[in-house]
Amino acid sequence: MADHDRLPEDFDAGVAAALARAVPQVDPPEELRARVLSTVGDAGTVRPPSPLRGFNETGQRRQTGGTLAWLALAAALALAVALGGYAVQLRHRARADESRLAVLAAADVKRVDLAGQPVAPRAAAQAYWSRSRGMVFTASNLPPLPAGRVYQLWVLTAQPAPISAGLLKPDAAGAVNVVFDTPADIPTPVAMAVTIEPDGGVAAPTGDKYLVGLAH
Amino acid sequence: MWLLLLAIVDRTGPGRSAEDRLADQAALARIGRGDTAALAELYDRHGRPIYSLALRILQDQGDAEDIVQEVFAQAWRQAARYDVSRGQVAAWLLTLARSRAIDRLRARRARPEPLADRDAADGLIDAAVPADAILMSAERVARVRAALDQLPMLQRMAIELAYYEGLTHAEIAERLEQPLGTVKTRIRTAMLKLRESLAGM
Repeated sequence: MADHDRLPEDFDAGVAAALARAVPQVDPPEELRARVLSTVGDAGTVRPPSPLRGFNETGQRRQTGGTLAWLALAAALALAVALGGYAVQLRHRARADESRLAVLAAADVKRVDLAGQPVAPRAAAQAYWSRSRGMVFTASNLPPLPAGRVYQLWVLTAQPAPISAGLLKPDAAGAVNVVFDTPADIPTPVAMAVTIEPDGGVAAPTGDKYLVGLAH
Repeated sequence: MWLLLLAIVDRTGPGRSAEDRLADQAALARIGRGDTAALAELYDRHGRPIYSLALRILQDQGDAEDIVQEVFAQAWRQAARYDVSRGQVAAWLLTLARSRAIDRLRARRARPEPLADRDAADGLIDAAVPADAILMSAERVARVRAALDQLPMLQRMAIELAYYEGLTHAEIAERLEQPLGTVKTRIRTAMLKLRESLAGM
């Protein structure tokens, strides 16, 4: 195997281990869990890769294609990305409506009121958190985001560092209305906060705090 | 304000890192006996960071999902042979993910090559994980992240190309149009700063 099986040359093991985790944390698609578990159903035989693998195969064709192939590739990629995005959006919306009610009605629901901070005194938000059902998060009067920035929601738990719950993009009125899944192993929230961060989010909060609230 | 919040949080309970590590080792032992519920447990704890790392390296959801499947399939096959003294299970899984993601990135860059023999890939288990068990707390990650953000642009790019793209020093020199000696110096200087950010923890 190639030389990168070990650490990159001159790399410290501790630094490398931290770099592995210092990337923006993104939730895998929900259905991946079932795929991973079914993979090992028959003594570890690996199932054929997902249909999205097509991206990779198309990418490899770059080596031989001319300008026309490039254009076709670009168009195909753009379409695939647009369709993929749309499908995700639809799925997200359908699930959101069902799960919003489920969270609000959950026996273990816990409410966190977040107050606007000096950078956004009019902003406010409520989070309803249920270990079993997920989290509903609504916010209002968040200031418009500058280009290349995004709001990020943080959950503070008994663990020493804030855990990223996800990215928030308010609508034109500064409102946010989303449902998040909550991993079952996350400790109970003690507080929540929203910061402004570079697009794509960050592993640990760096920007100004816009909203902060302690759990009741 | 973070300090205040963290102070509040600190009183509510101890960190769970040590507990998690033991739970990981126990799960791996059960996986070694063919327990799929234990694999599910391991996925629930580490699926997200593994997926996030693969996505960062490959910049493609489908490819990142494939890597996650491959990593857990490998964990399933090798669990019975895993030696707990070799270090954290989480670090092992992330190392596997990085190696496989970078293999795929290289295959994408170069001409399409037949995939390496799976048994050869399985050989990674012996080379991949640093022997010292590193307690990878969220605070360590945050410190390295912050230190990385403060590096001069070219130092930071050299580190990122080496780690997240698996480039050799010579390849980094070519990409950044810098002399090889300069790249080596930049990486060593940057590594010193990043290591310092973790010192004394």
